[in-house]
Amino acid sequence: MRKFHIFAGAVAALAVIGLSPVAQAAEKIAVGALRLTSSGPIFIALEKGYFREQGLDAELKLFTAATQPPLAVVSGDVDFAVTGLTAGFYNLAGKGGVKIIGAQSREESGFPLIAYMATNQAWDKGFRSLKDFAGKSVAVTTTGSTFHYSLGLLAKKYGFDVNSVTMRQLNGLPAMQAAFKGGQVDAILVPSVGARALESEGAGKILGWVGDETPWQLGALFTSPKNIAERRPMVQAFVRAYQKAASEYHKAFNAKDAAGKVVKGPNYDEMLALLAKAMEQPPERIAIGLPYIDALGRLDVGDIYNQVAFWQGAGLVDKSVDAKAVLDLSFVEGHFNLPR
Amino acid sequence: MAEPQMREVAFRGGGFVLSPRRGAAAVFFALLLALWELAIRAGWISPLFLPAPSAVTTALWELALAGTLGLHVGQSLARIAAGWSIGTIAGLGVGFAMGIWSMSRAIGVPAVSALFPIPKIALLPLLILWLGIGEPSKIATIALGVFFPTAIAAYSGIDGVPRNLIRMGQSFNLPWLAILRKIVLPGALPGILAGFRITASIALILLVAAEMIGAQYGIGAFILSAGNLMQTDQLLAGVVLLSVLGLAIGTVLSRLERWLLGWR
Repeated sequence: MRKFHIFAGAVAALAVIGLSPVAQAAEKIAVGALRLTSSGPIFIALEKGYFREQGLDAELKLFTAATQPPLAVVSGDVDFAVTGLTAGFYNLAGKGGVKIIGAQSREESGFPLIAYMATNQAWDKGFRSLKDFAGKSVAVTTTGSTFHYSLGLLAKKYGFDVNSVTMRQLNGLPAMQAAFKGGQVDAILVPSVGARALESEGAGKILGWVGDETPWQLGALFTSPKNIAERRPMVQAFVRAYQKAASEYHKAFNAKDAAGKVVKGPNYDEMLALLAKAMEQPPERIAIGLPYIDALGRLDVGDIYNQVAFWQGAGLVDKSVDAKAVLDLSFVEGHFNLPR
Repeated sequence: MAEPQMREVAFRGGGFVLSPRRGAAAVFFALLLALWELAIRAGWISPLFLPAPSAVTTALWELALAGTLGLHVGQSLARIAAGWSIGTIAGLGVGFAMGIWSMSRAIGVPAVSALFPIPKIALLPLLILWLGIGEPSKIATIALGVFFPTAIAAYSGIDGVPRNLIRMGQSFNLPWLAILRKIVLPGALPGILAGFRITASIALILLVAAEMIGAQYGIGAFILSAGNLMQTDQLLAGVVLLSVLGLAIGTVLSRLERWLLGWR
């Protein structure tokens, strides 16, 4: 029996050596993401072997909530992750747990990602424009979420007091949509797929889209300070692969014609099929909510500074957190909107 | 054959008699907290992973200074009191019916078995549709969690009442209500009170789930928010509050047990 084990082991070892001449040098890394199209470049790079091209043996770890990927980076379970930027993220980053090195998705005009909707009752009472948000109640996941920041930007744009809006924290989309359908709130912020469903059920009216109203840096690519200090070439290699995938995504899904209308770019169908497979959802559903992702992972740096200031003003992020210390801009060239 | 030797033997049959050691628990906790604090001060554990006890105390103190501590505890206590009372009264009613009448038991046992394991959190969207996002849905979440264990405790408590005592009552031609009040109820009480201990803890656990529904104040809402904001010191401060609440409720139940079961 033992002899057999040794024999089997030898065969397995031979097989590994024989089958993977490239993998010999490949550096093992783990990448954390949510199963969302905003993580598209990660799925594209994995599927098309861009990490392997850079000598990286990348393993994907999927999470179910935006709070989890940054924690996994801090605990060392993943080396890189992409997710939406929340107040909690900055609290963690401010303590030196993670550093932002590039961009994930961005709220951008023409890309309907998150809708503002009003219930029929509120609509009938005259809530027909985003300017009328003051004094209304709105269903959100939590305070400190991306929804909360979007509302903050909207308040600034239309000059109403964000504190006059009652944010109902329902800790999840199903509960939010239930409260909206039941008329327990006046408004909701909801991702495009849910928004289309609510609209077709006749539960409410879409008032506008976050991207059209207030573009901002929704998500980021980040790693641990330890990786930056000790494995810099590996981080650079990862960013190169990420950028290659991001630019393919950008070309396929973010192309606009001369009139500024979003059109299908090259390889649209191939990319959509790839993402649909990764999301385990039908392509038609994926096509509804494809976010804007910068081709080179460049960040709207000024917005990151503004986010930190906004959260600190709301008392949700510690005053000691410094936006500059949360960022490492040395991996991607040409970031936007750098503060002087 | 040698003469049996007499030998003085110390009394060995003490058994494992436990004598009270007052203060031992306090010393143990104090040592544990000191070690925890030291580990963080000395840099063995990063505060990123575990906040120091002093940081947790500071978070609690700041909460008290801001005046929101009372709001959080008050609102949570009100929800627990209402939810637990409704769940307990309904559970006792159903449990007694299941313990006394054959028909109720025939229907009740499978019904309880089928409905008890449903996770209350999964029902939140439905509860919101039925009851809205105000207090009723939060109270209903707790009441539902308390109802089933209470019903089970009550009917198995009644089952445990010695049959011959009931038969004796019947032989002496005691009225039905008197049998219930003087034999069944006292007999079932220890089991019911043990059930209270479990349901009180369940109510505390479900507080976090209940306060997921649009609560602005409450210990559960506070813990949820601290978790989302990665404010681990506040998160643990909230957990400490829950533990203290659990301890307080446990003490009250012990008093209640001593008073109600004094006849034993």
